[in-house]
Amino acid sequence: MASFQWPWQYEFPPFFTLQPNLETKKKQVAAWCDLVLAYHKHHKIFNLDVKESQSSPLFNNTKIDRKLSTDAIYSILEELRVKGNIEWTDKTRAQCLVMWRTPEEWGNLIYRWASGCGMTNTVCTLYELAHGDDTKREEFFGLDDWLLKRALRTLEKQRKAEIMSFGTSEGVKFF
Amino acid sequence: MGNLFGKKKSRVTEQDKAVLQLKEQRDKLKQYQRKIEANLMRERQVAKTLLRDGKKEKAKVLLKKKRYQEQVLSKTDNQLSNLEQLVQEIEFAQVEARVIEGLKTGNECLKKMHQMMSFEDVERIMEETQEGIEYQREIDELLAGGLTEDDEAAVLEELAQLTGVEEAGNQLEQLPDVPMDKLPEIEQEERRKERTEEREMVLAS
Repeated sequence: MASFQWPWQYEFPPFFTLQPNLETKKKQVAAWCDLVLAYHKHHKIFNLDVKESQSSPLFNNTKIDRKLSTDAIYSILEELRVKGNIEWTDKTRAQCLVMWRTPEEWGNLIYRWASGCGMTNTVCTLYELAHGDDTKREEFFGLDDWLLKRALRTLEKQRKAEIMSFGTSEGVKFF
Repeated sequence: MGNLFGKKKSRVTEQDKAVLQLKEQRDKLKQYQRKIEANLMRERQVAKTLLRDGKKEKAKVLLKKKRYQEQVLSKTDNQLSNLEQLVQEIEFAQVEARVIEGLKTGNECLKKMHQMMSFEDVERIMEETQEGIEYQREIDELLAGGLTEDDEAAVLEELAQLTGVEEAGNQLEQLPDVPMDKLPEIEQEERRKERTEEREMVLAS
């Protein structure tokens, strides 16, 4: 995997302090939102723990000795929540699910693959979709279980697929 | 109307459920294989380290374990092959069933079409068509030979009149030909003299 390309702002110390000017702050938060999504997409991370993330390279640039405050992190995450890119997993807002693509978009990618491989009218396991040998080169390879199921539910609504769940078995049939 | 808010009818068959269970078993075997492969790689490295440190006996035990795991890996390969073959056979049988269902539907449709139009019906329609053609031919013949002798004479007379008018028109149109003779030419020298004389007269005045 190629190393992540940090934006120019990441090396700019004021970027790690929320600006008082509204216009500047708006642009700053937008840049942070893009960075958060790009970072998670590159590393294929689907969860974010607020406490842990404070010490992660994402919000902590040791090179210039700058760190984003907890309040600033929450401001950025709230903006992402409004956009529909994150969802809090609990009321304490300690952890969230990150979606750099919407479940509908993931669903379309999965269905395009299924159609292209002649998998319509065929049963697939969830493991086969996210970790199978046939999907290694696909973008949805390594997709977290919760997001995979959500993506498949969007296909189910469009009657392009049906989720199969009985006993311990879980799979999907494409149409 | 009763099923309006009810759950949609599932399109998943019992065969699909069987296939899913087989595929899940296949996935578990693959995961198990990956685990063994990772162990083998790690143990190979450990064995090398032990040999380097002079712990030959420990390395030997580890290599025995590694050998056993390789045999297990080979067995799982065979099981995996059997599972995948079974899955493919079921899936192909499902495809065949759909093809047969399609053929059945096609045959039923064809039978209905044949019932709608029997051989006798076709024969009768063709006969009626032929009768219609014959009848039309008779009408055509009647119309073609329908003029009396008086009518024929009147037609010929009108034709003669028209021919006469056309000939008279042609006579009026005959005009004399355009003469083709060339006009006599005045010699160039005489013309030149005349021009110079004219010029002198103009200058004198």
